[in-house]
Amino acid sequence: MDLQYKTIHPVKYLQDHLEQGIRPDGRKFLSFRPVSVNVSSIVQADSSAIFKLGDTSAVCGIKAELATPKADIPDHGYIVPNVELSPLCSPKFRPGPPSEQAQVLSKLIDIVLSNSRALDLKDLCICKNKLVWVLYCDILCLNYNGSVIDACIGAMIAALKTLTLPEINYNSETGVIVTHPENRKAFTVRTLPVSASFAIFEKQLLLVDPSDDEEDMSSTRFSIVMDDEEEICYIHKPGGIPISQNLLCKGLEMTKVRAKSIRSVINAAISTLNVNNIETNSPK
Amino acid sequence: MPVDQKRINGPESSVPYNIYIHSEIKNKGIQPDAPKRHDGRSNNELRNIFLKTGIISQAKGSAYIEMGNTKIICSVFDPREVPNKTGYCVQGELFCEFKFAPFSHHKRKMHQQDAEEKEYSLILQRALEPAVCLQEFPNFQVDVYATVLDNGGSALAAAIMAASLALANAGVPMFGLVTASTVGIYDHTYLVDPTDTEETFCCTKSVPGTVHNHGIIIQAALPQHGQISEMFVVGSVDTDTIVHSMDLISEAHKDICPLLEQCLVKTVFKTFRPNIKKTDTK
Amino acid sequence: MVEEDTEIDCVLRPMNCEINLLSRSDGSTMFMQGDTTIVAGINGPMEVKSQKMAYDKLSIEVTYTPLTGPAKVDDRLIETYIRESCESAILVSLHPNTMICINLQEVQDSGGLLACAINASCLALINSGLSMKFTIAAVSCMIEKETGKIIMDPDNTQLKNAKAEFTYAFDSINKDIVCCHSVGRFSQSEFLASVDKCKQVSQFIFDFYREITKKYANTV
Repeated sequence: MDLQYKTIHPVKYLQDHLEQGIRPDGRKFLSFRPVSVNVSSIVQADSSAIFKLGDTSAVCGIKAELATPKADIPDHGYIVPNVELSPLCSPKFRPGPPSEQAQVLSKLIDIVLSNSRALDLKDLCICKNKLVWVLYCDILCLNYNGSVIDACIGAMIAALKTLTLPEINYNSETGVIVTHPENRKAFTVRTLPVSASFAIFEKQLLLVDPSDDEEDMSSTRFSIVMDDEEEICYIHKPGGIPISQNLLCKGLEMTKVRAKSIRSVINAAISTLNVNNIETNSPK
Repeated sequence: MPVDQKRINGPESSVPYNIYIHSEIKNKGIQPDAPKRHDGRSNNELRNIFLKTGIISQAKGSAYIEMGNTKIICSVFDPREVPNKTGYCVQGELFCEFKFAPFSHHKRKMHQQDAEEKEYSLILQRALEPAVCLQEFPNFQVDVYATVLDNGGSALAAAIMAASLALANAGVPMFGLVTASTVGIYDHTYLVDPTDTEETFCCTKSVPGTVHNHGIIIQAALPQHGQISEMFVVGSVDTDTIVHSMDLISEAHKDICPLLEQCLVKTVFKTFRPNIKKTDTK
Repeated sequence: MVEEDTEIDCVLRPMNCEINLLSRSDGSTMFMQGDTTIVAGINGPMEVKSQKMAYDKLSIEVTYTPLTGPAKVDDRLIETYIRESCESAILVSLHPNTMICINLQEVQDSGGLLACAINASCLALINSGLSMKFTIAAVSCMIEKETGKIIMDPDNTQLKNAKAEFTYAFDSINKDIVCCHSVGRFSQSEFLASVDKCKQVSQFIFDFYREITKKYANTV
């Protein structure tokens, strides 16, 4: 009965729930979905992470390659984030080149990376003017159920945090490159930007961490990205109905709390990885 | 090459670092006559298989399969009208898309489907079509998307199984489940369920100019009916070897099929009694 | 306090606008904020392809063309900002099953491109005569690296010393935030201060809209 009602009257279905002070998935207006993070499960990637936000999940895999730097910034490496919203994750998408939404998402992630200064591109330099690392961060959405940007940023940051790069010897005179795959070095990520999304409904009703249906029917949405020091890295509100400053402030306060808990989940996931590494290495 | 304006682009050219690894370290080498394979299996042994259904909530049906290091996720969507089609067709269609994630391979994959992926998509479609009751949804198509997250070898066979599970999970009427397995052939060695290193090893010829058997055979079947739905061979293999590998593969199918069945039974239990798991753990 | 008031008067770069520039469009404008210049044209409401049709509202398509080269991922973001902002301003339920196209051409960029693009599209919307709930005004500002001072409507040379850059769009009724975009890292208090200041300044843009419409009202 519930399901039929939802299919026939999606808007009323949601409104009836909201009037009762509850959301269709049973959450309160201001409660986030549980988060789980899994790192380094993909063997072929240099580092990887799966970030789950309730049903929404995204996987990020990083492949490191070598290239020559740009002439105007000879000591900067490259980081190339791309988000793929494949038809696999939702019936909304069709196969083919990336949709406009996927392009905007890729750009947003790129902005967050540069705004937060989480990585110093100079760390990716092997030999000035000659050789730098390129980090291809490909983020694949596996299940599209709202607040995808939060999941994408979470997956990418967790993957970057666990990234190790092999030692490269570069002879600048002969141009000979030798890789030492056993000698992998960790890569410094200065801060962990965490994103939180919000949806606003009529009468300035604020819902945190909206699901896909809630996003579709909301009047407007916004996302806030915050780093370790509670500095804001990005505030994104693309449009929709005007909202008051107070509502944004409320969002900021909630993001602070949320960012802390997500950060601890990411760090916990990474620390279990380290424990496993010690365990597997010691018997040998 | 034209620049893709719909993605964020890196430098014009970049090379993987693996090519600069000293060849002595890189080539651990696979001994075809060794008693055990490099991951400790015997030649006829399958890797452990993990299956799960219903992991993509937005899709009608979905499945995840893990075979050793190979990880594949697959989803199936509601039937929709075949786009750009005029006229009536008695049978429905399957639309399959097989994709390697960019980070799933030894060498980074491009975003666009390459020739290999397109070929695999077709094989996937051909392997599944005989198992689906296409007459049940005339003029409609069912979309099947499979994405390889991590390629540890035998990806296509795993994708076929994941897709058949996802189809069953979606409630698409089917005649039976489809299982698939791979055999790598190198001379007189048959490697069941090869890893990616074994796959590349079997695809290369050892001594040029000789008539060594080498190659890979993938076979998809409906073991509940004893029928074969698709067979795919690469390399140069003689008839006797093919016949022998068919025997090996049908043995493997017998082992795999109960796993798929079990997984589906579990799914059915879960939908009817969602609390069963909670009480179990308590 | 008096000093600050006079400061606000001259904080925005001089705005210039020419309306009905394009003869084939239903509404068009060339809008200049300092040296940053955008040409905007609006076509519609017109027939829509069945794929993009929304049965209950007007759909909006935005095409932004950069000065050089083909449209890239960066431009998609600008398009999203403009589409979603305009969607909130236009009475979309008045024209179901139709669409309008907003075409923007960058002529020159010397800072504050996004704000300029939003303002240009709003002026073009006014010119096209579509019914709107309210008008929107976008203001950009930056926080200087050394002094921490908020500079309104900065140009490219000023932006080199920026710690953070903001673009806000406000509606004309309550002056609430319609859209918001930021570059760089900043604290919450810096953010709130910049919103306040931009909100005050947005009145100048609304006044400018009024002036322009008055000027051209008899020729339209």
